[in-house]
Amino acid sequence: MVKTELYPLALTVNGRPVSARIAAETTLLDFLRDQGFIEVKRGCDKGDCGACTVIMDGKAILSCITLALQAEGSRILTVKSLGSWERLHPLQQAFVDYEALQCGFCTPGMLLAAKALLDHNPHPTREEIREAISGNLCRCTGYQKIVDAVEAVAKGAYR
Amino acid sequence: MGTFRFFRPESLRQLLEFKKKQGRRAHILDGGSNVLVYIKEGSIEGGTLVDVKFLKALKGIGIKDGWAQIGAGEVIADILASPLIRKQARFFTEALEQFANPLVRNMATLAGNIADSSPIGDTIPPLLVLEARVVAASVKGRREIPLDGFFTGPGQNVLKADEVITKIRFPVPSGGRGRFLKLGLRRGTSCSVASVAVWVAVKGKRVAQARIAFGGVAPTPIRARMAERSLAGRQPDGELIEQIARQAQAEVSPITDVRASAEYRRLVTGRLLAKALRGALGMEE
Amino acid sequence: MSKDYAIVGKRLAGLDEKDKVLGNVIFADDFTMPGLLHARVFRATKASARLKRLDVGKARALPGVACVLTAADVPYNESVKNVVGQTTEVGLLEAKHQVLVRERVRYWGEPIALVAAESPSVARDALRLIEVEYEDLPGVFDPLEAMKPSAPKIHGNNNVIASWKLRKGDVEKGFAEAEVIVEHEYRTPRQEHAPIEPESGVAWIDDMGVVNIRYAAQVIEHYRDVATVLGLPESRVRVIGTLIGGGFGGKEDVTVEVFLALLAWKTGRPVKLTYTREEMGYGRHKRHPYILRYKTGARKDGTLVALEAEVISDAGAYVYLSPWVLIYSTVHSTGPYLIPNVKVDAYSVLTNNIYTSAFRGFGGMQMAVAYEAQMDELAARLGMDPLAMRRKNFLKTGDVTASHEEITSQVRLEECARAAMEALGEKSRPASSRKKVGRGFACCWQSYGRMTFLHDTSSCWVNLEMDGSAVVRTGIPDLGGGQRESIRAVAAEVLGLKLDEVHVISTDSQVTPLSGTVTATRALYMSGNAARLAAESVRRIIAEQAAEMLGAPPEAIELRDKTAFSAKDPGRKLPLTEVIKRCLFRGTVPQSLNTFKAPFTEAITSDIIQAPIFPDFTFGAQAAEVEVDTETGEVKVLKWATAYDVGKAVNLNRVEGQMEGGAAQGLGFGLMEDYLEQDGLPLTWNLHDYLIPTSRDVPDIKCIVLESESGKGPFGAKGIAEPAIGAAGPAVVSAISNAIGVRIRHLPATPERVFFALQGKEGKG
Repeated sequence: MVKTELYPLALTVNGRPVSARIAAETTLLDFLRDQGFIEVKRGCDKGDCGACTVIMDGKAILSCITLALQAEGSRILTVKSLGSWERLHPLQQAFVDYEALQCGFCTPGMLLAAKALLDHNPHPTREEIREAISGNLCRCTGYQKIVDAVEAVAKGAYR
Repeated sequence: MGTFRFFRPESLRQLLEFKKKQGRRAHILDGGSNVLVYIKEGSIEGGTLVDVKFLKALKGIGIKDGWAQIGAGEVIADILASPLIRKQARFFTEALEQFANPLVRNMATLAGNIADSSPIGDTIPPLLVLEARVVAASVKGRREIPLDGFFTGPGQNVLKADEVITKIRFPVPSGGRGRFLKLGLRRGTSCSVASVAVWVAVKGKRVAQARIAFGGVAPTPIRARMAERSLAGRQPDGELIEQIARQAQAEVSPITDVRASAEYRRLVTGRLLAKALRGALGMEE
Repeated sequence: MSKDYAIVGKRLAGLDEKDKVLGNVIFADDFTMPGLLHARVFRATKASARLKRLDVGKARALPGVACVLTAADVPYNESVKNVVGQTTEVGLLEAKHQVLVRERVRYWGEPIALVAAESPSVARDALRLIEVEYEDLPGVFDPLEAMKPSAPKIHGNNNVIASWKLRKGDVEKGFAEAEVIVEHEYRTPRQEHAPIEPESGVAWIDDMGVVNIRYAAQVIEHYRDVATVLGLPESRVRVIGTLIGGGFGGKEDVTVEVFLALLAWKTGRPVKLTYTREEMGYGRHKRHPYILRYKTGARKDGTLVALEAEVISDAGAYVYLSPWVLIYSTVHSTGPYLIPNVKVDAYSVLTNNIYTSAFRGFGGMQMAVAYEAQMDELAARLGMDPLAMRRKNFLKTGDVTASHEEITSQVRLEECARAAMEALGEKSRPASSRKKVGRGFACCWQSYGRMTFLHDTSSCWVNLEMDGSAVVRTGIPDLGGGQRESIRAVAAEVLGLKLDEVHVISTDSQVTPLSGTVTATRALYMSGNAARLAAESVRRIIAEQAAEMLGAPPEAIELRDKTAFSAKDPGRKLPLTEVIKRCLFRGTVPQSLNTFKAPFTEAITSDIIQAPIFPDFTFGAQAAEVEVDTETGEVKVLKWATAYDVGKAVNLNRVEGQMEGGAAQGLGFGLMEDYLEQDGLPLTWNLHDYLIPTSRDVPDIKCIVLESESGKGPFGAKGIAEPAIGAAGPAVVSAISNAIGVRIRHLPATPERVFFALQGKEGKG
């Protein structure tokens, strides 16, 4: 039986250093979930749904079609980097207030795509918000309240 | 798991030497997205995954001597963010803005899209009308391959087993206007059923230069040479556009698949061409 | 007059929402246990075949594989269920299902074997080592072909597995009185639920020998089905339902739970099974595609005189819920209109396509494509305004429909349609001369609550803790529609508590009283009513005790903010904790287990539906404005409005959420969703090829919520989950028709269909 070749990977997730030895074809999604970051969801594993979105070195990307080893040394943010029960991130609070979620499965990815948008473009139009989350599928909400929530944050309602 | 190996070359030389040894068993991850999907689908089995993300030699977005140069390792989002490209190749940025969605644009590269050689690679028709050239390197040296002539069939190209794309370059477009239109089955991310890119330059009242490219209606993306010849030197008006649009339908060889019928693809290519030409020529809609 | 509620009717964030935005929720695939095995399903790659040879030896021998199961390993592999009310021609319907293929393969993707291994990649490798040989059998893929006597038979000796009828008056006479008759055929797509969370679960045997299955379940009562398959007592199987990442009827039938239970039971170890997105495509049921042949007649003044329709659905390879879906179709086929003469014949037909079953709307929503298009065309032919024409025919309270349903609640359809159209605002101007803008609306009706002959019940157990906080135990699953939160709101309202003083524990078949399914838009109606009953029982216990302590009549006692007081003397407040203490001292525990019963009717015994089946109906309308590119056929949706009478919005945010989500899902049904197969071979099995609306496809949606308080749910609420999708597809088709003068009758209205429809029109000159 051929022994699987393993390769070292070290990066930070939500500010914490994480390292492991992994098989070459491990995706970033596989790696993150195996390491316990189960808040990053697997919806399709092919890059079509956006549920696996994380922020890597400031860019929102699809972790299921990113090779984990190519994330060497990177800074990864998952939804858990945003806020806490005592203090939600403005986007999280807005999502709750506007009920911009129902089943919640797309929500971690959706929040990060929205955060990445506001980090680069603090005052987006509704069109720009829709464009920014167009890679994140939601089957429950029809997107209306998601756009409303992001717009509210962009307009300063949660300062 | 564990049927692949991994290699991260520390220099271009290391990369090229590795590619020479491994040939097509070395899978270059330029953005990686397509390759990983193929691995998951089982159409790539085994070999080495080569990480070129950190190679400086494949980075760089710039304009030099009238040529735009984009490193193979540059993601589309960064190309779109480049003030130089935005200013001097506006048509190109407008085309790239239609590529997939923001998440994919943060990961995908021109080189990856070109190397994938899909008939519906959306960066290709715009690059074709920009008369882009692919710089391919191997241990033997480097060569420039005109993009028109790069593709030999669906998923196939002229790259040799030991070659790696290092750069994409095109002359900075001037004196004309371009348009890229893609038709998908929804407004969000979707595979192009058909796509059209045009570049036209007008001198006086006549078309001095016309370049037209189609995607999704032939085994590879193609330049529509016959349509271009029909347009060159003519005075553009509504009737001429319609004539060119009809003619173009004869230059394509679309297929019927789950997304659309061949007949629709043929007919709609003509319409997209008419629309793109009207736009590039500043004619009223 | 509307009562003043403290919690009901407000926009209140639930506690689940906070956990969701923090990423705290442990969905089915997020759960793990020590020693976990990973499962995969080996599936047929033929649509119609006999299994000649199956050899799992190599797979079993692969290091890391814990077990490989085939049909021979399943204690009770085949099941037969009798479905009531079929024609004598068809014979007593025996719905046959098999857990794993024993010999006959009936659809591409049908499960043949199960693998459990130490890691997902070993499980995948094991699949490749399973050897199988098929003998092709003739298959049939078109329901019209399948109805012919010469067609290959999928089960038994007749592919028509269900047939229902409506008979009212005399359609011949009716059509004779018609000044205008419209006759067309419509086709609706095979829609895929496409929840973002794939089917998933984990099963294990606990230290009491009980098979536990923790999975995304819309129906926890499936522990009974699992027990049957394993040959175990029902008390030895426990289902724990997780918060579900989207159901829509897709997680309603028996899916992963049986596989998980088998593997856990055989290996003695915990097992996880998560479907790939591809399996979500070819391994799971879809919405029934329909062929709708409608002939509708009306008088010059717009009153309908007759409807004759033939309705044919593709049931796919297995029966599942097809007969029930067909009942819904038959009852809803007339639309929310009073028609004096009706003749409808509906059939559900087996084919070797993917099996079809429950999906939001459950056969009722497809009918709207036909009945609304017919109304529009009749109105056009009569030169009447489409809403004016409908007004002449809308059902009214007290009317009896062709299937003998009496409309007991209010019907506010005209208001809904008007509100939806008005909400579109000023008409947009087309972006260019080659684009055309159009608007349209559609009405719909959809039942809520399960069919009454199913004797639906829902139970709930409420108790007050010593400190005045409450615990509510309910079996109801939560798909994200806020089922849990609605129950919390109901209990809080009745007991005078704040939301975070009520804890809801749900969805555990051995710990929480069974509340029934989250299907048929019954959750609020049934489990909400059950929670209300239980909370009111507890309230009575407290009120009686407080009455004694205050010297006031029990009817005057009110509970608010954890105090009890008499309405006649509100200044004198008793802390709730004091009252509870006194109850306990007396031996009266402030708890109650109650069961709400939906009205029970007898089973239907005839295939002509002439008895009430549903508790009530929800009525509503949607309106759309589109811009059609006449050169390419592309449709851009510019504006959208949805207006429904929901009876009472227990939680306004959530009601709007259902309306907006239903609108988007219906927009997809109308414009882009189509699960395609070619001779049973799946073509669009992932989210790359099966397109659902993105944020760029759905415009801003205006939501108008009407509250007649005339529903049968708590506080006069009606159900909204399924009704919310019904009018969407028809509305967008109507808008396209308004824009380009051509009606698309074969959905979805893809650019290609619109393009050729335009050509056809031009061809006619």
